[in-house]
Amino acid sequence: MRPPVPPTRTGLRLSVLALILALAGVAALAIGDQPIRPVNVLGALTGLEGTPAVARIIVLDLRLPRIVLALLVGAALAIAGTAMQALMRNPLAEPGILGINSGAALAAMVVIVGLGAVPETALPVLAFAGALAMTLAIYGLAWRSGVTSLRIILIGIGLGSLAGAGATFLSVFGPVAEVQRAMIWLAGSLNDSRWPKVWWLLCTGLPATVMIAALSRDMDLIGLGDDVARGRGQRVQLVQGAIILAVALLAGGAVAAAGPIAFVGLAAPHVARRLVGPGHAALIPGAALAGALLLVLADLLARRAMAPAQLPVGLTTALLGAPFFGYLLWKRRND
Amino acid sequence: MTPGARNEAYRLGAPRNGAILILLMLMLIALALWSLTIGATEITPVEVLRAFTAPEGRRADIVLHDVRLPRMAAALIIGALLAVAGAIMQAVTGNPMADPGLLGVNAGAAFAVVLAIALAGITATGTLIWIAFAGAGLAAGAVYGLGAAGRSGATPVKLVLAGVVVASFLTALTTAVMVVDAQTFDVVRLWTAGSVKGRQMQDILAVLPHALVGLVLALALRGQFDALALGADVASGLGQSQALWRPIAALLVVVLAGSAVALAGPVGFVGLVVPHIVRLSLGGDYRRLLPVAALVGAGLTLLADTLPRALWGRDMPVGITLALIGAPVFVWLARRAGGAA
Repeated sequence: MRPPVPPTRTGLRLSVLALILALAGVAALAIGDQPIRPVNVLGALTGLEGTPAVARIIVLDLRLPRIVLALLVGAALAIAGTAMQALMRNPLAEPGILGINSGAALAAMVVIVGLGAVPETALPVLAFAGALAMTLAIYGLAWRSGVTSLRIILIGIGLGSLAGAGATFLSVFGPVAEVQRAMIWLAGSLNDSRWPKVWWLLCTGLPATVMIAALSRDMDLIGLGDDVARGRGQRVQLVQGAIILAVALLAGGAVAAAGPIAFVGLAAPHVARRLVGPGHAALIPGAALAGALLLVLADLLARRAMAPAQLPVGLTTALLGAPFFGYLLWKRRND
Repeated sequence: MTPGARNEAYRLGAPRNGAILILLMLMLIALALWSLTIGATEITPVEVLRAFTAPEGRRADIVLHDVRLPRMAAALIIGALLAVAGAIMQAVTGNPMADPGLLGVNAGAAFAVVLAIALAGITATGTLIWIAFAGAGLAAGAVYGLGAAGRSGATPVKLVLAGVVVASFLTALTTAVMVVDAQTFDVVRLWTAGSVKGRQMQDILAVLPHALVGLVLALALRGQFDALALGADVASGLGQSQALWRPIAALLVVVLAGSAVALAGPVGFVGLVVPHIVRLSLGGDYRRLLPVAALVGAGLTLLADTLPRALWGRDMPVGITLALIGAPVFVWLARRAGGAA
């Protein structure tokens, strides 16, 4: 067990992380096929007189929605991951356990490959519906006068493989061009970022984040075991249900906006735990900042690595995050 | 469950073990014979027996020897291999979500196969088998190397994390190739669904030695995996050397799962779910769980490969059918027995 991080240092570290995130955001707004000077980026953002109109259009209309969406998706995945790890008392848990990714993936495959004629704008809505339906199915089937994390995991495995089989079926027998298009979505992509997606994610994510933040003390208690939590007056089933609902809204919204992006929900809480310790009051904002930073950087890499070709960001979170995570493992090899 | 209670349960159940195993084997033999009769050419059970006792080069004999027998054998082998590999993974990592894919075996094999197809244009199954095996071994070696670094060795948590890291890295690279290269993608997508269709005797014979050695060792060492499954503290208390048995277990998983992936592509479900099915119905004692899981895995895989042919006369990748048949059963079991609230 790592010693707790003193509160003052926690605040300092969170501020530094926020500062790095802000710098990364400005850098991401400045870098692109048409580079914009950082001064003009700030000018466009603050509405300063004398900013060239071209810079204003590129920054505000083209790049800003994408960077804001990357930031929000990263934060949402990280908060959902932190909550899942607390709920399951398992540092390896990630929101995918609730079937969110497989439900959304199946819905997206059906839309892209199976139906074909459905308008693209319906994709996020149907993906969100798929994620939510899957979560409800798992929670509902796991409920027997209460849920246990083992039952949720087991039923998640079962329904997840069922949905996965359905998606694989479509990918094997569907027309190759459409399946390939679905693959890009399934890898997780921010290529089609527009303001409506940002609003949509905020609508589902903000209430959920408030819920998670309000439950941060309860999440500390969960770590002590159901009996202790109950002894301290926690209504365990109610808290579990609330956390699952919040995770479904956050991760489902993120999947709807950008497709299933692996790794951020798993890695960001670990990074945050190293920075600010295990207490959830600091861990949740820490993870949100770390997740946002990870996704903004990953998306920058996805845009520029093979420019003008745009890679799906899910590829770069793995290509970027995996070695970093491996490094963390390697550094901790003496533990 | 405490070790004492587990041993008690094991002793009480001991006379039943033999009966369960014999029953399962009989069912497996019946299933195997039935699967040989199913297909485009009508072959009666009598003809099946005659093809083995007195082959005369009839059409039925050729179909049986060259098409159905290798396919049946492939289904049985990969089912047993993956179920046992999954059970061992779950014991070593103490993680119910663990399956052979976790050690990077599937990701490594898939990446190697995709590279071979994209760069060298290789499509012959016989060659791809060895490429898949090599990729699986290398990836698993990398996972184990990363997870085992340091004084404490390959602890369950480190192994799982290393598996996630390496697997997601390789999967991302694989996806990148497939997104860019439609032709490779078209060849690979069939392979990635997992199928035993069109396997030939030489493919089986190439994999069989590894498979047999892995299975026999796994079954012979099942007492050790039982101790591993109880967690590090209990295992050390029982006098088991974690530093010795974890690497052995990991190596076994690589041989078992690597052989299966080489033969049939990354078939999901069996490795993850069959150990749970056995655990939920018979309890978690690995001395009983491993042999039963091998038989159940083999039977379920063969059933999944045969049923679509029997019902609709057409082939389905076995990985898909397995999930469609097995998942509802599994969910029902999990709901019934997955721990009290």
